[in-house]
Amino acid sequence: MSRVPPPPALPRDLPPPIDPTKTHVVREFTIDDYPLTTCRIDPTGTYVVAGAEDFQIYRWPIAGPASARTVLRGHNSWVRSFDFSPDGQWLYSGGYDDRIGVWPLFDPNPAPARMVVAHDGWVRWIRTSPDGRLLASCGNDNLLKVWDTQTWELVREFKGHQRYPYAVVFHPDGKRLASFDLMGVLKEWDLASGKTTRQWEAKFMWGFDQKFRADMGGARDLRFSPDGKHLAVAGLTEVTNAFAGTHKPLVLLVDWETGKFQKKFRIDGRGAAWGIRFHPAGFLVGSGAPSGALWFWKDDKEKPFHTTGLSGGGRAIDLTPDGRQAAVAQIDRKLVIVQFTAKVG
Amino acid sequence: MRRDHGCRRADHEFSRRGFLATGAAAGVAGLASPAVSKQLRKGQKRVLQIYLQGGVSQLESWDPKPGTRYGGPFRAIPTSVPGMHICELLPHTAQRMHLLSIVRGINLKTNSHHDGRLFMEMGRRSGSFPYVGSIAAKHLTPANAPLPGYLHITTRGLTDNTNAFLDARHAQLKLAGPKVPDNLIRPDALTVQAARRSGELLKRLNRRFSGRGGQKAFTDSYNASFEMAEKLMARRDLFEGKPDPKDLQRYGSHPFGRNCLLARTLLENGATVVKVTHHGYDTHAENFNFHLEQLGEFDNTFCMLLDDLHQSGLLENTLVMVMSEFGRTPKINVRYGRDHWGTAWSIAVGGHGLVPGAIVGATNKEGTEVSEREVDGGHLFHTYLQALGLDSTANHDLGGRTVPIGDPTRSPIKELLA
Repeated sequence: MSRVPPPPALPRDLPPPIDPTKTHVVREFTIDDYPLTTCRIDPTGTYVVAGAEDFQIYRWPIAGPASARTVLRGHNSWVRSFDFSPDGQWLYSGGYDDRIGVWPLFDPNPAPARMVVAHDGWVRWIRTSPDGRLLASCGNDNLLKVWDTQTWELVREFKGHQRYPYAVVFHPDGKRLASFDLMGVLKEWDLASGKTTRQWEAKFMWGFDQKFRADMGGARDLRFSPDGKHLAVAGLTEVTNAFAGTHKPLVLLVDWETGKFQKKFRIDGRGAAWGIRFHPAGFLVGSGAPSGALWFWKDDKEKPFHTTGLSGGGRAIDLTPDGRQAAVAQIDRKLVIVQFTAKVG
Repeated sequence: MRRDHGCRRADHEFSRRGFLATGAAAGVAGLASPAVSKQLRKGQKRVLQIYLQGGVSQLESWDPKPGTRYGGPFRAIPTSVPGMHICELLPHTAQRMHLLSIVRGINLKTNSHHDGRLFMEMGRRSGSFPYVGSIAAKHLTPANAPLPGYLHITTRGLTDNTNAFLDARHAQLKLAGPKVPDNLIRPDALTVQAARRSGELLKRLNRRFSGRGGQKAFTDSYNASFEMAEKLMARRDLFEGKPDPKDLQRYGSHPFGRNCLLARTLLENGATVVKVTHHGYDTHAENFNFHLEQLGEFDNTFCMLLDDLHQSGLLENTLVMVMSEFGRTPKINVRYGRDHWGTAWSIAVGGHGLVPGAIVGATNKEGTEVSEREVDGGHLFHTYLQALGLDSTANHDLGGRTVPIGDPTRSPIKELLA
């Protein structure tokens, strides 16, 4: 009698596949007293850095332990934006003290190599060019600026936003920039000429509070897909009472080739989307506040196909280079590392 | 730190009396000679009240705590007074702090918009008492004043019974901005003579109504409304015409800039108490972005007004207050907001009768408690009136019944009085 051979066994050390519905927290790094403002993971996947309301930057090895924390001191206000040189050797920080910090990330105790006075008012956002030679910033002087990352000389200024630009990002082709301001104005800029080449008005991501005569809107994160075909804008919509924070989270997906607003990803409940990433497995993952959660979207469905609850509202999210994990900077003083797979063991 | 989001709708509505005062005009054109205004400028004491409605954050204005647990993202900057620092959101004001003083130890023991506003205005925690503006208007407005004694420029309504038991003539008259108040213009079909006869008839009817047992308060209120309207009609010129472009450039073309320009015009032309409300400080969310916007607007405009009063000499006779109904919580909430906080906050004052360049009171390191020289609305009320040379310990005489003007359990902040 013949017997059917059993299927070959999976190697015991094969990592479980990416499955957002199995997302779980694998590590937590907590600081004393102060909520976190943002976070990033360096391109080598070695470190995670976070800004906090105590003006300091915290660095942990992403694999832990929490005790391996290093504190980077140099800013005199909150840091809301980070980026890196492509090789991960340099960390750049944008602060509400008007300055860009330049830090040797792999130094045992990094001290700022430079503190560049970049804007008249807060530096709201910074982003490195794909080749790492340039860094774009935007600030409360309503300007975008592009800096040479070797000399830190100003390469070009971009004028055109009438209200605060909240975020700026290089297109993956390295020749264009996108920026998004308080009023929901999205601009595409030509790096060489400094001119606006396209402009959109995403007014649904802005609201004017008639009672208090105040504007509320802007991007809390801005991210191109790796192929440059899409831009994701994390923010808010349906502002009914700006001063009470009565609005809803929204992530806008823009088809960058056609210029069409392709999708508005929505989340039930109050708050704003504070972070968004294109995952290499083909879905979008976002975080937001005030309630803590990770939202997962794919295809053309407006609502998330999965939501993972977190202990505190998220101010930013970033992925590890292999896409298996993400870091979330939370209001409850925790930097959490989540894994998009089933638990092992 | 209790959160109180209960901003009741009634707090934001126009009062009936205020409406009557602005809307009941159909009277007689009076005359206010420029010579009278000029004379008034010399000695008349005045009040300029800037009300930052909703509760400006003390940490983002007069009592910054950068680098502390609840300090927020803004830095402190030096001022024209050595050793005095205020928030970087007030760079222009910082250069003029030698004209102002800061009271940093206010504890109202309430986090309610309504209760805080009344305490700051009446000097009493509860009850119905006249606002400081009504008392100043009563005692400081000359009999032949060309304008109503107490004018409030505001783009939104707040329910105010400012005169309480005082004569309705001392009530606040609300102006919606630098435009001729609604219904002030006499219809073409109504001649001046006819309007005058109509007004006199109304007064006679009111006297008869009161004399036959009618409620005097009603007729007083109506008469006061007509008197105010008459005065405003006579000075329509103050509201008409376009502002000087240079002034607009200095003050800003936004509503607060235009309202402060009107305040300057009114003070220069004989108004006794002028209050300007700057709305938009109730920042339960995005406190830092909103203060960036609101104080950016306030700082430059207020300083232009202060400069003009100073340069014209009016500041010598004008008590200036920059106040709110409370401050904002040190704790930053999950929406980057600060909530209502009457426990440890600040105001700025200056001008007539006050020591400039002083800091009175203090809060602890994190701004969560008053640590030195705690005061409340009662102390401030006495201080304002005594700075104006009025005896705040005297009584209102209500036809045989007396009511203390200031809360007898409170006293002025003597170190602030010049």
